[in-house]
Amino acid sequence: MQLERLQADFAAALIDIHRFAALAPVFRESGARALDRFALYRGNVAAAWEKALTHAFPVVGALVGNEFFSGLARAYGHTHPSTSGDLNVFGAQFAEFIARFEPTQTLPYLGDVAALEWAVHRAHYAADADALARECVACLAPAELLAARFALHPAVAWFESRHRVASIWLAHQPGSSDRLPSRGYGECALIVRPHWRVEVVMSGAAEIAALAQLRAGADMAHAIGAALAIEAGFDVAKALVRWIDLAVLTDVASR
Amino acid sequence: MHHAPVPPTIESNRAALRVGIGLRVPHYRELLTRERCTGWLEAHTENYLGDGGYDLHVLARLRETYPISLHGVGLALGSVAGYSLEHLQRVAKVVRGIEPILVSEHLCWGSGSGHAFNDLLPLPLSESALTLMCARVAQMQDVLQREVLIENISTYLHFAGDDYDEAGFLNALASRSGCGILLDVNNLYVNQCNHGGDAATQIDAIAPMHVGEIHLAGHLVTDLATIDHHGDRVANAVWTLYERALRRFGPVPTLIEWDTDIPALDVLLDEASQAAERYDAISGGSAYAA
Repeated sequence: MQLERLQADFAAALIDIHRFAALAPVFRESGARALDRFALYRGNVAAAWEKALTHAFPVVGALVGNEFFSGLARAYGHTHPSTSGDLNVFGAQFAEFIARFEPTQTLPYLGDVAALEWAVHRAHYAADADALARECVACLAPAELLAARFALHPAVAWFESRHRVASIWLAHQPGSSDRLPSRGYGECALIVRPHWRVEVVMSGAAEIAALAQLRAGADMAHAIGAALAIEAGFDVAKALVRWIDLAVLTDVASR
Repeated sequence: MHHAPVPPTIESNRAALRVGIGLRVPHYRELLTRERCTGWLEAHTENYLGDGGYDLHVLARLRETYPISLHGVGLALGSVAGYSLEHLQRVAKVVRGIEPILVSEHLCWGSGSGHAFNDLLPLPLSESALTLMCARVAQMQDVLQREVLIENISTYLHFAGDDYDEAGFLNALASRSGCGILLDVNNLYVNQCNHGGDAATQIDAIAPMHVGEIHLAGHLVTDLATIDHHGDRVANAVWTLYERALRRFGPVPTLIEWDTDIPALDVLLDEASQAAERYDAISGGSAYAA
C-alpha cells in the first residue's frame, strides 16, 4: 500500500475507530490483538491532548474535577483537533468551546475562567523584556511625562469578565486562603510577568483603558484621559508605581 | 555555518559528555542551585518554542553549566501530509539560541488528515518511507546547518511487507542522508517484546560509525503489550543490551530518560551513575568527576 494511503487510513482510524477495518490488513498483527494494540495509539493521542489542556487550564480542571475534565478534553479534541507539533498552542479555542458546550452551561463563568487561563498561558511564553527602572519615570518633568509614550511588557495582558473570574483564579493558586466568591459582579484582571512568574492582579476598567491606550502607541496624556473618563478619581501616581513594580512598563520614549 | 559561541567551560567534545539526564520541569530549581551533577542535559525542543519566558530562561542559565542536547518530539518527519516547515523554522530558532551539542528527532510520522496526533507513530520500514525520511532529514540538516541524530521508536504494531528490519533501515537512512543514529536501547528491547525478533541482533547489525547517542529508559510490561512509558528504572535486560552496545559502538553519549511519574533528581542521577559505571568499565572513557 502507498505510504500516503496508509497514513490517511491510519489517521482516519485514530479519529474514528470504526474505520480500523480498512487499515487492519497492513499490520502483521491480526484480529482483536491488532485492534487492542491500535487502541493504545488512540489512547496516547487522547492522553497527550488532555495533558496539554490540564497544563494550560488547571483552574478549569479544579472547578469541574478530573473525570469531567477528561470528557471535556475529549469533546474539545474531537471538535478542535491539534494541528501543530507544538502542544503549547493546543487549547486556543478551549474557552470559546466551553462557553458553547451544552454540558457546561450550568457553569456560566467557566468559559471566562478558561479565557483568563489561556491569557496566563500565553503570557508564560511571551517574549522577554527588562522592566523600566523607577528612575526613568521619576526623572521626567510633568510635561515630559504627559508627552511620553511607554512600551508595555510583551507578557502584559488584561481580561474583563461579567463574572468574578480573577477572584476564582486567585482562590485556586497554591497557598491561597481566599474564599471563592459567592456571586458575580464583573471583574477586570491584569496579567503581568515580573521575575519570570506570571501573576494575575485585580484591575479596573480605568486602568485597562489607560494601558490599552499605551499599547496602541498613545502618549501618557491620552492614557490618563481614557482612565479619567471612566473613573474620575483614577490615581495616576499610584498607577505608575504599580506598573513599574509589576514590570508592566519596559521602555519610555519622551519627546 | 554560523553558530553562537558556546561558553568556554562547556565541552565541545561529544566523547566528554559521558552520561546525562533528561531535563524536566520538576528538577529546574535543583539543577539551577546545586553543583554540576551530570555530564549533560537533554531538553525536549517543543517545550522551548516560546518567544521567551521562564522555560527558555532556565535553559539559557543551565547552558552556562551543562552541555545541552535538543531532542525534538514534534516534527513528525515521516508524515506525508501535514509536515510543517514552519515548525522546523521554530526549531531552528531554538537551536540558534541554545547552540546545543546534539540535535535529534525520531524515525516516525504523526500528522495527517488535518490532525497533529502529537504521538510518535510507526512508519512501515519500506523503500518509500526511506525515500521520504531521507528527504525530510536532508531538509532538517539543511535548515539547521548541522548533522542531526534520528532515533528508533518503540511500536505496538508493525507492518506486513517491510523491506528492512530496524537496523537496516537506520543504516540506510544514515548513509544516504548523512544523519547520525540516536539508538534507544530500551525501544529495541520493547520491540523485541512486542514483535519477536532479537534486539541483540539489531545492535550487532547497526554500523558503529553512525551511532551518535544512546537512550536508556524504563518500560512497563502489560498483557497487551510492552509499553515504553519512561516511568521506571532501566530493566536488567536493557542494561545487558546497553553493555553490548557499548562494546560495539564505544563511548557514545548516553542519556537517562524519565517522563512519567517523574521521581526526585537523585533517582535519575543514581540511574545515570549506573550507566556511567558500565560506560567507564567497557569503553574506558575518561570520567567526568562530579
